[in-house]
Amino acid sequence: MHRRIPLSLSRVRTFASHSPSPPSGPNTVGPYQVFDRHAKVLQRDRSATRDGGARSRTTDYVRDEVADRMIERLLDIKRKFNTILDLGSGPGHFSKLLDAEVTNKAVLLESSEKLLHRDPDSEFEVEVERIHADEERLLDVVEPNSQEAIVSCLSLHWINDLPGVLVQIKEALKPDGVFIGAMFGGDTLFELRTSLQLAELEREGGISPHVSPMTDTRDVSNLLGRAGFTLLTVDIDEVRVAYPSMFELMEDLQDMGESNAIVGRRNFIHRDTLAAASAIYKALHGNEDGSVPATFQIIWMIGWKPAPTQPKPLERGSAKKSMKDVL
Amino acid sequence: MNSATTTTTKSRALRRFALHATSTCATQAEAYGKCILATYTDVRKDACKEEFAKFGACLRESVRLPRK
Repeated sequence: MHRRIPLSLSRVRTFASHSPSPPSGPNTVGPYQVFDRHAKVLQRDRSATRDGGARSRTTDYVRDEVADRMIERLLDIKRKFNTILDLGSGPGHFSKLLDAEVTNKAVLLESSEKLLHRDPDSEFEVEVERIHADEERLLDVVEPNSQEAIVSCLSLHWINDLPGVLVQIKEALKPDGVFIGAMFGGDTLFELRTSLQLAELEREGGISPHVSPMTDTRDVSNLLGRAGFTLLTVDIDEVRVAYPSMFELMEDLQDMGESNAIVGRRNFIHRDTLAAASAIYKALHGNEDGSVPATFQIIWMIGWKPAPTQPKPLERGSAKKSMKDVL
Repeated sequence: MNSATTTTTKSRALRRFALHATSTCATQAEAYGKCILATYTDVRKDACKEEFAKFGACLRESVRLPRK
């Protein structure tokens, strides 16, 4: 006879070396677990509390720069919003830049509670609401067809189920609602990735993942299309930062809460390998003044939820004139 | 989670290590980096063993705490 196993017992036991990641939500499909979301929340919580948040604030520079570029894109939309949902907001890098001419209210949604409450409401110009929830389970906290605009400023790169989250974003939007996103693309930190790989290969004879796999521009357009967005705009941009050495870069990444969180990662890098990677980083990528560069590639995406009032391309094959006659 | 003290000691030790890896032993690091740069299209284990041995020796020498 078929017996129902209680849910708590049926959960697969994980090895002690992996911290357990909760299974993906019921709204999502394709449970590819690349990132350890549980570890990521812990890392981000710790980053927000280190030195009372001071360390986290000094390493805001990448996110602040991208938030600044993002607000320009939002201002291109000549519309006043009642609320804007900031998905994976962190302490609100983007929402701090919003003013009363654009929106009445900003809703911050973030999975790290400490980071969400890092900065007081007085730093925002508009009314703020904070929701502590998992970005991967957006529809659990946000009603479908309820949002006028959803933005995501550098949070989607830790999402396991990117297609699922994009579908949820589209569902959460009202018809003719807009989604603007910025996420780290495949060339991000390629210097660090290659240096660590070369160092591990030469010193230890094998490699393990230290820098996350990241999405490609082409994939993003396909995913947006598949999620049902229309009028897509996807482009790329770069932020390059110079550091004294690889060690400062790694320290800053940790303070940003951007440490490695790949499932099954090695939490340990041998000191020899670390020293070797630093030497390789400088030899392969170093600037002339002795500093080392780090590239952050940003993929921008804008998509609209379809609505009958929007301009649309005509049906395929519905043309009345042949292109041959025109040319 | 680590207590605050262990974290600080750990990060301080790593910072000292970083300083030696990038400035005290900069010459050896550069030699090692050049060796990798020359072979990076075909790197295998211990391809730059000799250069790293010198780099590593310098690191171990400088990281050691001064005796009283």
